[in-house]
Amino acid sequence: MQPFIQFESVSKSFGSMTVIDSLDLTIHKGEFLSLLGPSGSGKTTILMMLAGFERPTRGTITLDGMRIDQLPPHRREMGVVFQNYALFPHMTVAENVAFPLEMKRLPRHEIARKVARALDMVRLGSLKNRRPSQLSGGQQQRVALTRALVFEPRVILMDEPLGALDKQLREHMQLEIRELHKRLGLTIVFVTHDQSEALTMSDRIAVFNAGKIEQIDSPHAIYDTPRTRFVAQFIGETNLIEADVVNVQNGHATIALGADLAAKVRSGPELQAGQKALFSLRPERMRLGAEPAGDNSLGMTITDCIYHGDHMRVQLARGNFTFTARCERLAGDWTVGTQVVVSFDPRDCTVLTS
Amino acid sequence: MSRASARERMGALLLIVPLLAFLAVFFLWPLWTMVRASVVDNTVSRVLPRTAAAIVSWDGQGLPPAQVHKALIEDLRQAEDQQALGETVRRLNSAVSGFRTLLTRTTNAVRDETNSGAIDLGDLDRRWKEPRFWLALREAVPPYTDRNLLAAVDMKRDAGGAIVSEDPGASANRLIMFRTFLVAAIVTLACATIGLPYAMLAAAVTGWKRTVLLLAVLVPLWTSLLVRTTAWFVLLQNEGLINGALQVLGITDGPLPLIFNRVGVVIAMTHVLLPFMVLPIYSVLLSVPRNLMQAAASMGAGPLRAFWRVLLPLSLPGLMSGSLLVYMVAIGYYITPALVGGANDQMISSVIAFYALGTANWGLAGALGVILLLVTMILYFIYGRLSKSPQLLGA
Amino acid sequence: MFRTAQTFFGLLVVTFLLMPIVAILPLAFTSSVFLTYPIEEYSLRWFVELTTADAWRLSIMNSLIIGLGATLLSTVLGTLAALGLRTKALPFANLLRTMFLLPMVVPAVVLGVGMQMLFVNLGVASTYPGVIIAHAVLCVPFVIVSVSASLQGIDPSVEKAASSLGASPVKVFRRVTLPLALPGIISGAVFAFATSLDEVVITLFVAGPNQRTLARQMFSSIRENISPTVVAAALLLIIGTLCLGGLAALLRWRQERIALRAAP
Repeated sequence: MQPFIQFESVSKSFGSMTVIDSLDLTIHKGEFLSLLGPSGSGKTTILMMLAGFERPTRGTITLDGMRIDQLPPHRREMGVVFQNYALFPHMTVAENVAFPLEMKRLPRHEIARKVARALDMVRLGSLKNRRPSQLSGGQQQRVALTRALVFEPRVILMDEPLGALDKQLREHMQLEIRELHKRLGLTIVFVTHDQSEALTMSDRIAVFNAGKIEQIDSPHAIYDTPRTRFVAQFIGETNLIEADVVNVQNGHATIALGADLAAKVRSGPELQAGQKALFSLRPERMRLGAEPAGDNSLGMTITDCIYHGDHMRVQLARGNFTFTARCERLAGDWTVGTQVVVSFDPRDCTVLTS
Repeated sequence: MSRASARERMGALLLIVPLLAFLAVFFLWPLWTMVRASVVDNTVSRVLPRTAAAIVSWDGQGLPPAQVHKALIEDLRQAEDQQALGETVRRLNSAVSGFRTLLTRTTNAVRDETNSGAIDLGDLDRRWKEPRFWLALREAVPPYTDRNLLAAVDMKRDAGGAIVSEDPGASANRLIMFRTFLVAAIVTLACATIGLPYAMLAAAVTGWKRTVLLLAVLVPLWTSLLVRTTAWFVLLQNEGLINGALQVLGITDGPLPLIFNRVGVVIAMTHVLLPFMVLPIYSVLLSVPRNLMQAAASMGAGPLRAFWRVLLPLSLPGLMSGSLLVYMVAIGYYITPALVGGANDQMISSVIAFYALGTANWGLAGALGVILLLVTMILYFIYGRLSKSPQLLGA
Repeated sequence: MFRTAQTFFGLLVVTFLLMPIVAILPLAFTSSVFLTYPIEEYSLRWFVELTTADAWRLSIMNSLIIGLGATLLSTVLGTLAALGLRTKALPFANLLRTMFLLPMVVPAVVLGVGMQMLFVNLGVASTYPGVIIAHAVLCVPFVIVSVSASLQGIDPSVEKAASSLGASPVKVFRRVTLPLALPGIISGAVFAFATSLDEVVITLFVAGPNQRTLARQMFSSIRENISPTVVAAALLLIIGTLCLGGLAALLRWRQERIALRAAP
């Protein structure tokens, strides 16, 4: 794929505080890229620099090969969906949606036609004469989205657009946005701090921490093969254990987890015997049983069970070594104190060496 | 209604009653007194109560019946307050000249002990046979009159009772009212022209810059009005700083006339009232999310168009309430025009003060006051509707 | 360029707003009888005049007496009423509030004419109580606004908490509501005092020669025979109001900090 938007060693400081430090980032045409990270990690600053509301302190941003970092926002042709929607309170729904078309000085009949079509597409045609204050949160969200789409901008930027909606509506809008993205072939940059939102919607996710990208990858790769401790901990839940690499052979490595515990893991070329490493295993990738099964089977004791409705969370211990596992249900006679065997596939383990 | 909330309501009423009573006596009553003074005219009926009661039965044709004559004689005999009697004579004489000598003569005659028997007024003075004196008397006795209210707008009733304009040149109240509304409009316009961009600037910047801009508005507001007017008096005078600076810079040769004229009044009033324009606009703008302008820019609106289509329409409510506030305060202004203005810049308040303090013409002062009060209340009502909270600034 | 124009405009208006106040103050220290620059020689003679000339000294005393009286009266009445207005069960609360604020709206001359007529009839014209009452009427709205604002800032759950902890309604008021509202009451009193200090028009109508206040004295001396004494008095007033304004701002700031700390 051709690089569409490129950040090249972009830095941004506010006074003496550096928010973005020498960042490189490539965004492809037609992709849905999420910028994910805790608040203050710099993801919104990236979006604001892309939209033109902030200028990089150093570095360049190009769009389709043209430098845009010095362009004022109104000449960038980027549709922005703001966190609080930023609908104009003194204009009706139709006037809000018509605004960007008027700015392009399109003929009046064409504006009317485009507005009507866009509003029908998001099923808001009947509300076109309402003011934003007369709409529900979800409706306002759809107006903001329509307004950002209607003038066919080159990129759509979304700044936590679903943050103010309740859970059900949020999930519905996630699907709706994904559907629009596929249908219209949009390039979308989506800022969020909600990992499940990023995982469900994105083609790629860039995980931000302290002004740097920790990892940029497909949702699948981000979840299954996190490359840093931060990513492993920030995305989903994991058991993270300091370990030593004992030996490496044939694409597999043996890791010592504690005094008398070892695990066999899949290994890339980066692992070497004698290294210190960080062992990561997702709770839902463990199986609990009465008998050993597969390559990795550890005998442990159940110390606590927490009921979560659709699953159980089981605390396991062996000496001062603990695991959290997640399973659908427990065998009938298991209680706190029962000895079980924990088994897991070497392919589900991740070892970080940094 | 539960018992607890009824008790709460009683408690609240008890807390409010003292202030309510205080304002009823010392705020509403004075206003009522003034309103009454503008329509009550008991100069004559107070001195001649019996005549006033009797003359209403006369239809105005020919001469009044005998009981009116009797009542007048009795009234003149009983009248003890010489000052009130004098006022009555003056009032009647201004309606029909000759009334002074007629009444003086009649009063002297009826009080003469030797004339204790029946007196025929027509014999005493032939003028009592002329209906016009009786008509003037009938005109003057009703306790309520629209004379003052009409005079306040330069009108009067002619001999037939129809409302007509006062002779041009006889009174200048209409001119002064027009001037008041004009000066207030100019000041409002000046405040809006300066205040709108200033409030936008204050809302756009942050940190110490915003603090400075706001302090510059608040410090004058906290400073005594008299001090500010004194300051303009000193600055605007012919030897003042502004004229001095203009001459040093070579812009003018001699001093420009800045004080005791319209220019001075407008400058000083604009300075005094500018905070009332800036603060409402500023508070409206603060509630406008910052990213509305960003949103407009992202959709291709340049700074000017974003201003015109988004920021300006959104600041209109603030501009409206600011303008109403400034206009409302400006039309009632007294001190600044009195000190910085010339004879041709006096506004309606000055005229009221003149009638009340200078000539003790309570009726006319009251009538002009009623008009000013009415206009102010209408503006305040609209202001309250617009801004949803009836609170004014300054606190 | 737009930026430069903005800065220039901002500076221009700030100058317009502040320059008059700043520019006259040095004239209080001139030794000349004229209020003109340049000042040839500095002296304190006008301050001496201000504190020794009978008319000025009396007017300063009068301003303090009348100001304190009006402040006391309006603060007590206004605070009670603001507490009453807080109750939701009160009928016509909005109408009452509007009425309490009206003295701020009615043109001073109109009110002055009415008061003069009535006060003559009541026999309080040209007396201290009469002037104090007249000033208090004008001060009430400021107290109402200020106290209401501070009462509005009190989180009702704090009072509910107090009563759940065993405090009687009177205790809740004395230990919780009143301390929290106190900054508002004090700043209302400050505004009331400043209002009385600055009041001229009503004073013209209801005060006799014996109740001539500082503002009234300044008014007539500007009108009849302006001298640097007026500027010296103005300086005194500015310092006074700035101190009072600063005190009010400090109290408000403290209240905001309390509110911030109380916020979760």
